[in-house]
Amino acid sequence: MTNVARSAQVLLIAASSMLFAAFTSAMVVRRGIGGDWAAPPLPAWVLPTILFAPLASWLLHQRRVKPAMAAGAALVAAQIALLAHFRMAVIGEAFCAVLIAVHALHAAAGVLALGRFGASAAIFWHFVGLLWIYVLFLFGVWA
Amino acid sequence: MAIAILIAALAGATVALFFQPRWWFPDAISAHAKAYDAHFLFTLCVIGAIFVFAQGLLTWVILRYRDRGQAPSAHEGNNTLELVWTSATAVVFLGLAFAGQGIWAGIHLDAPAANALRVEVLAKQFAWSYRYPGPDGAFGRVDTRQIDDASGNPFGIDAKDPAGRDDITGAILRVPAGRQVELLLKSRDVIHNFFVRELRLKQDVVPGITIPLRFTADTPGSYEVPCSELCGLGHHQMRSSLVVMAPADFDAWLQEAQQKAAQP
Amino acid sequence: MTVFSTCHKVIGKQYIALSLFSVFIGIFLSLVMRYHLVHPDTKVKLFQLLWPDGAPGGQMTPELYLSLMTMHGTIMVFFVLTTTPQSGFGNYFLPLQIGAPDMAFPVLNMLSFWTTALSLLTLLAAFFVEGGAPLSGWTAYPPLSGLGKITGPGQGLGQDLWILSIALFCVASLMAAINFIVTIIELRAPGMGYFDMPLTCWGWFVTALISLFAFAVLLPGGVLLLLDRLAGTSFFIPGGLIVNDQVQTRSGGSPLLFQHLFWFFGHPEVYIAILPGMGLISTVLSVFSGKRVFGYKAMAIAMLAIGGLGFVVWGHHMFISGMSPYSSIAFSVLTLAVGVPSAVKTFNWLATLWGGRLRFTAAMHYALGFVSLFITGGITGLVLGQPGLDVYFHDTYFVVAHFHLIMGVAAVFAIFAGLHYWFPIMYGRFLNEQLGKLHFFLTFAGVYALFVPLHFAGFVGNPRRYPDFKEYEFLKSVMPLHIGVTHAAYFLAAVQLLFLFNYLWSKRRGALAPANPWGAATREWRND
Ligand code: HEM
Ligand SMILES: [Cu+2]
Ligand SMILES: [Cu+2]
Repeated sequence: MTNVARSAQVLLIAASSMLFAAFTSAMVVRRGIGGDWAAPPLPAWVLPTILFAPLASWLLHQRRVKPAMAAGAALVAAQIALLAHFRMAVIGEAFCAVLIAVHALHAAAGVLALGRFGASAAIFWHFVGLLWIYVLFLFGVWA
Repeated sequence: MAIAILIAALAGATVALFFQPRWWFPDAISAHAKAYDAHFLFTLCVIGAIFVFAQGLLTWVILRYRDRGQAPSAHEGNNTLELVWTSATAVVFLGLAFAGQGIWAGIHLDAPAANALRVEVLAKQFAWSYRYPGPDGAFGRVDTRQIDDASGNPFGIDAKDPAGRDDITGAILRVPAGRQVELLLKSRDVIHNFFVRELRLKQDVVPGITIPLRFTADTPGSYEVPCSELCGLGHHQMRSSLVVMAPADFDAWLQEAQQKAAQP
Repeated sequence: MTVFSTCHKVIGKQYIALSLFSVFIGIFLSLVMRYHLVHPDTKVKLFQLLWPDGAPGGQMTPELYLSLMTMHGTIMVFFVLTTTPQSGFGNYFLPLQIGAPDMAFPVLNMLSFWTTALSLLTLLAAFFVEGGAPLSGWTAYPPLSGLGKITGPGQGLGQDLWILSIALFCVASLMAAINFIVTIIELRAPGMGYFDMPLTCWGWFVTALISLFAFAVLLPGGVLLLLDRLAGTSFFIPGGLIVNDQVQTRSGGSPLLFQHLFWFFGHPEVYIAILPGMGLISTVLSVFSGKRVFGYKAMAIAMLAIGGLGFVVWGHHMFISGMSPYSSIAFSVLTLAVGVPSAVKTFNWLATLWGGRLRFTAAMHYALGFVSLFITGGITGLVLGQPGLDVYFHDTYFVVAHFHLIMGVAAVFAIFAGLHYWFPIMYGRFLNEQLGKLHFFLTFAGVYALFVPLHFAGFVGNPRRYPDFKEYEFLKSVMPLHIGVTHAAYFLAAVQLLFLFNYLWSKRRGALAPANPWGAATREWRND
């Protein structure tokens, strides 16, 4: 992998982290002052998707780009299915929907990047996996 | 050359403008406003000195080092100088920051007086209303369904709550001179801003929260209250008045208003 | 020159062309505003022609004024000040100055430009939809911006387009920021260390870093606001609102939350506008005084300090917003602290001139003008940075004067300096020097005449964002001042035509420039 590709991914990760940090702090603030917070209900089948990150990263490690892409596409599909569960008028669910949708965009971008650049897009891909664990943690545990 | 003269002339004209009496703060009507003016004058002297010094230096450097065939010097830095001017500006700027905390604390951090007159202020697109608690000292309960601007109940005071029967509402803020007033600022729709120039006070009025604002006005008179946060197409017409009255006049007004409120 | 070019030079010029187009729209809107402020009751055919709904019979409505103001501010901040100094000059000259063949990602670069162009079109489209352009200002505070048509004309589709435009701009700026940073980190010529780069590159570098973090926060703010409008969420909309006599069903949202997200971006944004200019001014002053930049390293470090500290001062826009008065104290101290590196830069500029042999080219005129304006505009920050004092000046014309001088006009002077300085590289010809100097003198006098008096309207307490001043007794006394200011605005706008003429004429007919006509030492002037 070239230095250029690595730097670009590191910066992309920095920007995405900032994006998620902004959403998260908005959520922390909103939860603290609204007085109407309720944890968003997550269907039980979400739990196994946490395995996505180690799976996809492992596949990439084996240089099996196509299967890793398939795993990513499956995640995006699951996320889209998940979005139907949330009511936007309920604030906790609205945040959940927004973060999942934004993550789905990242995952889709990651899939496309794998298709275009192959294994050199791996760093971003690992980040997408970690980010998903973060999102699940945020809504499954913290919220 | 010409540019040096122009810089000096424009900087001079800027300074000169400060000596015209026409466009300036209105007279202060509270102890806080007077403290404000004193601190502003102090700040103005500091920044005025910096301004004159910096623009003067710029002018002088341009004149002094204009191209007269001299060889440019080879200076390209001096750490001592950097250190000196960095710490000098740090001292001046941070000094200003700390010196300014007094008037800020005076607005928001000092404890309220025990006998403060509490007045609720309600902003909506594009009007102000004020509510006094009446003789019982308590504001009546509010029920948003009973809000009715046309029949004079913009607050939606609940008709069933006895504490609300004696509440006095109006479109002008009347306060007694010399007694602390505590405003409770609320908005019904968007963000507005309560501003009294003569008090040197300004506070956003934010829907969803109640923001207290305290002042003690000393000089009787009528003062304009211009909404100062963009709130829509009528923003520039969202005008109200603060009327500061001699304590005796205020008591007389209050009594009359209470009698009126007591009649069903 | 191909339209969808991936060449950094072409893209740089495209950005400059886009913002040249934008600045003239912005100026036109401001003239209409200034005219209306002093002739609020005059009917104008042209207004009716341009905005049949906003100015029925030629009589401008308040909502039209406010929408012009919103569009003026948005166009100037995003499509002029964020565009030319960074994306325009940066794209063209960064690769040349660090010896790179092009930007690191030429295709991404092209995409950034066209996303920016799309963003501009989206914004301008707001003029043509039902209700017209939004009226909530370039800061778009909810609930005013969050509830749709019910809060006023222009708050329907117009506001949606505005948010969409800003979101697109965020995406474009994020892509550009990554491109700039990677280019600087990875594509510097062999042997060129960070502290060997010209200060212009430092300006672009720090600006790109700021953009990366600032736009990544504005984007979520925009997304959440759009959802509040379109999906019925309550991120920023509190409960129990009654707007226009209609009860709203939202609950629990916080208007202040939006302000925090907005200003976390908004303050760094002013540095995005000015830092590339600062780098450029250092270069121009150094070249035309025949000396190296004084305190090169201090200058680079000051930029980093400004960039870093710039992220922790956003609260100074919110002193009167109702946030905790204790946090105001912290923000105040930090704000005055960020003034220190700015002052250090001014001292270093003066020291660069000191002992030099000054050549008064047109570019040098603008650079010296920049320093003067930077002082005049910056010094009032010491007033506004104190919450106790800001309590009077917030949202008055004092603030309008302050930010026009420091962020508007100073940055525009840097653009003028840059165009005069680099024109020989861009077009092989000079911008006419005589005309350039004439334009400088008239513009420099014009901006002082326009913006300095506005401070005094602020002293009287004149609120900003008012379509007219008829309602208030105390504003009657300010009218003569406003009349003078409006004349200054006409004058200033008229003399900009000199520049436009110079630019268009010199591109084709200007005097041919030899290689490195200014005797500069940086790489872009080498012919290799
Ligand atoms: C010909 C020069 C200019 C004139 C005559 C002018 C005039 C105005 C006027 C009349 C307003 C509305 C003030 C109000 O009602 O509160 C305004 C607002 C504004 N201007 Fe300018 N302006 C000029 C150049 C610029 C430039 C170069 C910038 C770039 C920073 C700029 C940025 C803004 C912004 C951000 C606002 C605030 C908009 C808002 O309140 O949302 N202006 N200007
Ligand atoms: Cu208002
Ligand atoms: Cu700021």
